[in-house]
Amino acid sequence: MASRSKLSGIQRQVLALYRGFLRTARLKSPEERHRIESVVSAEFRENARNIDRKNFVYIEYLLRRGKKQLEQLKDPDITGLSTLEINKVYKPLNLK
Amino acid sequence: MAHSLAAAASSFSPPAARRRLPGQVTNVISRRSSVSFNSQRISFMSIRSRPSQLRFKICCSAKKETVDKVCNIVKTQLALPEGTAVTGESKFSELGADSLDTVEIVMGLEEEFNITVDETSAQDIATVQDAANLIEKLVLEKAA
Repeated sequence: MASRSKLSGIQRQVLALYRGFLRTARLKSPEERHRIESVVSAEFRENARNIDRKNFVYIEYLLRRGKKQLEQLKDPDITGLSTLEINKVYKPLNLK
Repeated sequence: MAHSLAAAASSFSPPAARRRLPGQVTNVISRRSSVSFNSQRISFMSIRSRPSQLRFKICCSAKKETVDKVCNIVKTQLALPEGTAVTGESKFSELGADSLDTVEIVMGLEEEFNITVDETSAQDIATVQDAANLIEKLVLEKAA
């Protein structure tokens, strides 16, 4: 029996996208995978902290953008984080 | 997106206490009321001794080995301090996991046990025991 409230549809979409990134990261080299996971995790968490959960228009925009980025990342020829667009709205992530 | 989880209160009459696994830690986190957590790590001031184990479902209990593996993965994933009490009854939300953390835990479990958890099933996982039960079910299905 579920002991937590049901996630809304848009919440499920966000989690599905996050999971999609983690799955795709597995297909990359170990070093690259670690970097992708760090960047993706940080960005999702930053958005979770900063975005009003009722700002559906913006959230849906981010979901669409995220799905495009994920599709790009799935390309086997793409091996680098340079394909991940850093969200300019917030302070850029500090990548080494 | 929500990064806080509400743990719904559920009223039920638990069946008689089930056998305690040898060596199992008896201190568990127990909360009865509806609570809401943010993504901050929760202090363990609320840890208290609970004389019997409660189970939400009547179903075959996962092997201790599976539960232990799940506990270890959860500890690693959430970077819990050594000595943190994680048992089959531990709820991810009470260990400080938000929904993103839970996704990561499930992904980690998939790799460890070489299974795939569909999203519907993943949503129903709230405790270590839930995860262990689902894992053994999936492993059996895969072997079939």
